[in-house]
Amino acid sequence: MGHEVHVVTLDFPGAPYEEELGSLHIHRVAVDIPTPTFHTWVLLFNHFFEKRVGQLARKYGAPDIIHAHDWLTVSGGIAAKHLLRSPLVVTFHSTEASRSSHSPSPESALVEGLEWWGSFEAARVIAVSGWMKSEVISMFKTPTSKVADIPNAVDPLKFEGPVDTRAMREKWGVEGGEKLITAVGRFTSQKGFDDLIRAYPAIRRSIPASRLLLIGDGYMRGELESLAERVQVKEKTTFAGFVSDAELVGALRSSDVVVVPSRFEPFGIIALEAMASGVPVVVSRVGGLAEIVEDTVDGLEVEPDSPSSIAEATVRVLSDRELATRLAQKGREKAKVYSWENAARRTLETYQEAERESRYE
Amino acid sequence: MSERSKKLLSTLLVLGAQSPERALTIEELATKLGVEASGMEAELRRLLDAGYANVTSASGTPKVYLTGTGIITASSTYS
Repeated sequence: MGHEVHVVTLDFPGAPYEEELGSLHIHRVAVDIPTPTFHTWVLLFNHFFEKRVGQLARKYGAPDIIHAHDWLTVSGGIAAKHLLRSPLVVTFHSTEASRSSHSPSPESALVEGLEWWGSFEAARVIAVSGWMKSEVISMFKTPTSKVADIPNAVDPLKFEGPVDTRAMREKWGVEGGEKLITAVGRFTSQKGFDDLIRAYPAIRRSIPASRLLLIGDGYMRGELESLAERVQVKEKTTFAGFVSDAELVGALRSSDVVVVPSRFEPFGIIALEAMASGVPVVVSRVGGLAEIVEDTVDGLEVEPDSPSSIAEATVRVLSDRELATRLAQKGREKAKVYSWENAARRTLETYQEAERESRYE
Repeated sequence: MSERSKKLLSTLLVLGAQSPERALTIEELATKLGVEASGMEAELRRLLDAGYANVTSASGTPKVYLTGTGIITASSTYS
């Protein structure tokens, strides 16, 4: 779209500190000073971000827009806004209240304070779903006119290329004509993988020839492995860990159903990626998932926190070929609506609104 | 993951031990956590076995640092 974008982010092993991809410049920052906790670390890395933004401003001039994402980068974004006199846009991918199930703690109070501050300082706020928009307006009393809901997107082409599904299924331990049930995400309570594992024995009673593939990692990995053992499905469950983008596409395309059993989900991009892959989805009726999926049209919705509901819907998809084909076809059509072109156009419009209404104009 | 393992993983992240060059000795880690070095071995072993951490002996003394998977996992609560 003819714009120059500079992304300031944290360093990561193996990634270059400076990277240029056409008009996209990535600047990775190392945090050289130790801190006592995760939250002080976040505040500290924002200072390192501010320093890098300052260096970039001296080289390229002040940016037309500063765009910060979530509480993690809000303080750096606010500092850059005031120092460089550029309008600030803040995207909310989630809120602490939902993530922590409204359980108060000193850490949550800090995060919620930063979220409110970001919503207040921003000329425009972007929420990743209609549900997230309502949450931001309700939590932070942000004026409705200031918040745009711009959903995340997928590139359908990424999910349409050739995939050796037989090799992929072998890689994940699928034998013969077994059905492959896949779930992808961080292993945290929010994602509800424990409910899916609890549902799996009931699924196996109806569909014995099946395998459960869990892609991802996180603090709950040990807990989930123990649970799988307790409910006697460990041998039929593959814990794949984090995988490459190519492996993820291969896994989705090789699956018979993708289950998204989240307890809370501001958007739920994995559902969209599965739909773009032409695979039927079973999703919790929560947050952004309930906006993406139309129940019984392009996916099946289940009650959150309900292994029996997950089991019933998953068995329904796996045992009704006609239904599975219809959901997959409609899902693929739906995924095309969530294009990056649409997301980019609406983000640009939001930037333009922020520029027009910025207090520094 | 136990709370102690979680704490160890998070500590490696916030202390910046994210590459062999920035790795920490067991004693340095124990001091930061306020525990005996010998009392940390089991947790450390779990992180190594899970692929969240690695050991480098480049300087002659074993030092621990997070892998990419470890960094993502340590940050995963808020991702």
